[in-house]
Amino acid sequence: MAEKPTKVIDARGSYCPGPLMELIKAYKQGKVGDVISVYSTDEGTKKDAPEWIRKSGNELVGIFDRQGYYEIVMKKTR
Amino acid sequence: MPEARKRALILGDGAAGTIMANKLRFHTDPSQLEIKVIGNSVNHYFKPDGVMIPFGFKNHKNSVKPTKSLFNHGVDYIHDTVTSIDLENHSVRAGDTGEISYDYIVIATGDRFSTEDLPGYNEAAHHFYSLEATLELRQKLAEFKGGKIVVGQASIPIQCPPAPYEFTFQLDQYLRLKGLRQSTEIHYIYPLNRVFTMPNVSSFVEKLMEEKGIMVHKLFNVDSLDPVSKTLSSLEGEQVPYDLLILVPPHKGQKLMTDSGLADESGYIDVDRNHLNYRDYDNVFVVGDATNLPISKAGATAHFESEYLANRIASEVSGNAFFESYNGEVACTTITGGQEAITLFFSYSKPPRANFQSKSDYFLKWTSSDTYFSAMLRGIM
Repeated sequence: MAEKPTKVIDARGSYCPGPLMELIKAYKQGKVGDVISVYSTDEGTKKDAPEWIRKSGNELVGIFDRQGYYEIVMKKTR
Repeated sequence: MPEARKRALILGDGAAGTIMANKLRFHTDPSQLEIKVIGNSVNHYFKPDGVMIPFGFKNHKNSVKPTKSLFNHGVDYIHDTVTSIDLENHSVRAGDTGEISYDYIVIATGDRFSTEDLPGYNEAAHHFYSLEATLELRQKLAEFKGGKIVVGQASIPIQCPPAPYEFTFQLDQYLRLKGLRQSTEIHYIYPLNRVFTMPNVSSFVEKLMEEKGIMVHKLFNVDSLDPVSKTLSSLEGEQVPYDLLILVPPHKGQKLMTDSGLADESGYIDVDRNHLNYRDYDNVFVVGDATNLPISKAGATAHFESEYLANRIASEVSGNAFFESYNGEVACTTITGGQEAITLFFSYSKPPRANFQSKSDYFLKWTSSDTYFSAMLRGIM
């Protein structure tokens, strides 16, 4: 991953729609250019979060498998 | 020598606090356990009727009872406001009452509407989550002559997650009965990429919305509203104009919980999902909408949680072992329009199945205030 996250949200153990709502909250509080990372164990979020990132016109940096969880990284572009 | 009588203190006189107190009274011997409830409401409103009353499908007079009349014999109700909680010294303070000590405390303080989080909300939006707002909305709908109605929720979480879609289906039915459906567009907004949190229920509901000509806006997270131009804007960049806006307000947990250090800024308390106790305190429990559990904030949830917790405390008081755990069980009946409804059963590990709707489920919903006040709230079911 090229860019270091400005904010990391550890939403492991939280169920849908918790991780996505945490991501949206961080997005609202952040500024353009911020890189936000979410750790999650919820499978539904793997689909929901990228859909929201695209719809909201932001950039999906990537989805990364980690040990026992995954990480979704977005860049705030608007 | 007999053991000293234990003291249970329940904070909150809404659905969760009342059910908890009455159930606990049924499960315990008054000589072994004193039960006090402290709360500051005057009336107890059955909120699920908010999807009936605005349309005249039910009379609101059957949906309200005086709070103090709802506690069983042997429950000591204190009408007061809690101002601080001291878990280390097992006591709380309340305005007129002063200090109250306990052996067990159950926090059932619910959550609140945080309309301050959405500027313009109070001037522009209507809702059906309190009796006062519901009656105002009934009047507004009676005056409505056609146009664009937007229905949705300002954020997640909210109490009773299915209520926005239930309300939308009832609205569709009401407008058809009044001959206004052809001249009205109904727009349903939802924060996720579906129309309800639970995917399989969402598919069922979305198909019905399509059949009824309800226009759906998914991934619509409310960012702002403009009462002058009557426009609702989303974080995702979408704008929806409206003639009538029916928006469930943003919610937060009680400020007292944040101020007391029991919760973060959201106000919702982090509890053990299987045992309902707060952190490692074995005498501090939380039930109902006050928790941050990943299940519906609803009276139905409080009902199932209270069944578990009343049994647990009763076993402890009487010296019996208790090995059960709460698995997130909830059951609720939700309206799907045209006098039809579906009943959903689910838990932490089992998502609900929405297979069919029926008139008998609608009847169950229509009569639920009677069942609630006469049996569920009284702790006898």
